[in-house]
Amino acid sequence: MIREEIIIMNENGLHALPASRFVKKAEKFKSDITITKDDVEVSGKSIMGILTLACEKGSKVILTTDGKDEKVANEVLKKILEGQD
Amino acid sequence: MAKERILKGIAVSKGICQGEVFIYETKEARIMQTPIPPRYLEKEVERFTRALEKTEKELSNIKERINVEIGVDFAQFLDAQILMLKDREMFDTVSERIKAEKTNAEYIYHSVLDEYAKKLSTSRDQYFRERVADIWDVGTRVLRNLVGLTHSSVVDVPQGSVLVAHDISPSDAALINPANVLGIAIEVGGRTSHTAITARALEIPAVVGVENLVAKLKNGERVILDGNRGILIKSPTPGRIQFYRGEIKKEIEYQKMLSPFCELPAKTRDGRQVDISANIEFFVEYTHAKRSGAMGIGLFRTEFLYLTRRGNPSEEEQFRVYNELAKKMKPDPVIIRTYDLGGDKIFSDYHEANPFLGWRAIRVSLDEFDFFKIQLRAILRASVNRNIRIMYPMISTYEEISKANAYFKQVTDELHKEKIEFDDHIQVGIMVETPSAAIMSNQLASHVDFFSIGSNDLTQYVLAVDRGNERVSHLFDHFHPAVLRLIKQVIDAGHRAHIWVGLCGELAADPLAIPLLVGLGIDELSMSPVAIPKAKMVLRALTVPECEKIAEKALNFRCASEVQKFLNRMIARRFPGIGGIK
Repeated sequence: MIREEIIIMNENGLHALPASRFVKKAEKFKSDITITKDDVEVSGKSIMGILTLACEKGSKVILTTDGKDEKVANEVLKKILEGQD
Repeated sequence: MAKERILKGIAVSKGICQGEVFIYETKEARIMQTPIPPRYLEKEVERFTRALEKTEKELSNIKERINVEIGVDFAQFLDAQILMLKDREMFDTVSERIKAEKTNAEYIYHSVLDEYAKKLSTSRDQYFRERVADIWDVGTRVLRNLVGLTHSSVVDVPQGSVLVAHDISPSDAALINPANVLGIAIEVGGRTSHTAITARALEIPAVVGVENLVAKLKNGERVILDGNRGILIKSPTPGRIQFYRGEIKKEIEYQKMLSPFCELPAKTRDGRQVDISANIEFFVEYTHAKRSGAMGIGLFRTEFLYLTRRGNPSEEEQFRVYNELAKKMKPDPVIIRTYDLGGDKIFSDYHEANPFLGWRAIRVSLDEFDFFKIQLRAILRASVNRNIRIMYPMISTYEEISKANAYFKQVTDELHKEKIEFDDHIQVGIMVETPSAAIMSNQLASHVDFFSIGSNDLTQYVLAVDRGNERVSHLFDHFHPAVLRLIKQVIDAGHRAHIWVGLCGELAADPLAIPLLVGLGIDELSMSPVAIPKAKMVLRALTVPECEKIAEKALNFRCASEVQKFLNRMIARRFPGIGGIK
């Protein structure tokens, strides 16, 4: 299991478009993927869940990937959260 | 016979039409709680699955038919809605609860959505609070399908219709087919509402903000929509119909008379060329610009990018629009004006008492470099087409130019470093629309590549008149000698520094002003595409010496009405019917 704290760097936060990109990518991994913000944990494969976290630019989240492909998943998904994708 | 009624609203898109009312309604499904017997629970979940599938088809259908040129980001935005629809977690919660609570799918789905919506609506960030609307946009579709309601779609509007609605959602507005929709009237909205902008882009007459409109009209009844005066006429009297038939006929004939001028060069009788270009605010309008014979885009307003979407447009999105426009207009120039709105439009918690004298346009851009940089990068990347020019709005002092130029340099250095190609010789100019910029134009000219005079704001600031205020708007007159003298000063200063000077306010499209401006030596006039053929007609009938005489005289009157009277005497009688359509 990989847990990493990440600061959201997207211009408008994790809004609908990056959130959809995130979910589309996350769905392709076998690992369990979650995002945690202020002790609220949601599935990284659920856009509704991610949106309800309301991650503004600069907010801190914990990305957890757990499973066979957890390493690649962490790398790929981190980029989206950091606004580099 | 029914009595004629005139319904008043706000005129947002010009033109007149007569057609049959098509009321566009989105019906709300009524949600009831019904117990489901245990043996039917699997079936209930299946019914829910089918409703989701049907909705997905609807959304994909919309995505395909969407007018991408208007939609900009709606296609992507529909992607997000489809993901919301297919959200696995949401589906699992709903199906588990249907089984556990032995209750019907619509009730459970509604309550699950409500929970998500409640969580979002407590967010501190406005953007996320507004997503509640998206959840319900998707949710309502699903619920309609569960309940078995059909609903009218904008796509199904028959030919010859006047589209009437309480409101039209952005995703629906992008589906409007101008071949069938003659006019649009809605109950809500203002000049910058999405419907208004779409209507102007499609050149469909539109009136917004008509109270209780839907309740007053019936499907299929014939009405007249007057987008010039901002009214919709229900049960028009025979006299009224006759009057409007005349108006429509006059408009058509006048356009016919003018249309040959689209193709002709914009030159005076003695051969002086004055570039006539188009002001547009929407990508699709480039077709109108080309059709009416524009020699380029003299003003591309970028505000719609910020007003018609959720959140600020990304570099990529802006680049796409600028790049497409540049490609379509090549080799003719496209002048892109940077952000020209108040700070309140992008920073939601910002308000001020005196917006016209406040934090707007270049002032916002210079204070928020991260925000400005995105736009500069997008424009510069599109400049590989070699026909793009940049224009900064509302410059009032030299420091602003020097700061903007420094930022500009920083961005170009970055692009060099990243090995991203752009036009090294891109022209960078300013709008001259504040009195200080006009008065100091001789000092500013050597730091820019061109001036474009914004006559509307210049007039407002010089005469200290808010034209939106009914009590004082009669004092607003761009023919005031004070304004004209400043315009002369700006043109002279520009020419002394060997830069070109254009004008992009409403004055440019006023036939009475054209000889005056030509006489003052203007190099370019930029106006809405509709006005171009008329401007060419006037220009082609003039000679430079007569224009110079007119200009000299006009500057020496005491007030605007004396100037107008003089111009009327000199010009209007040479072109009968010239005041016809503005």
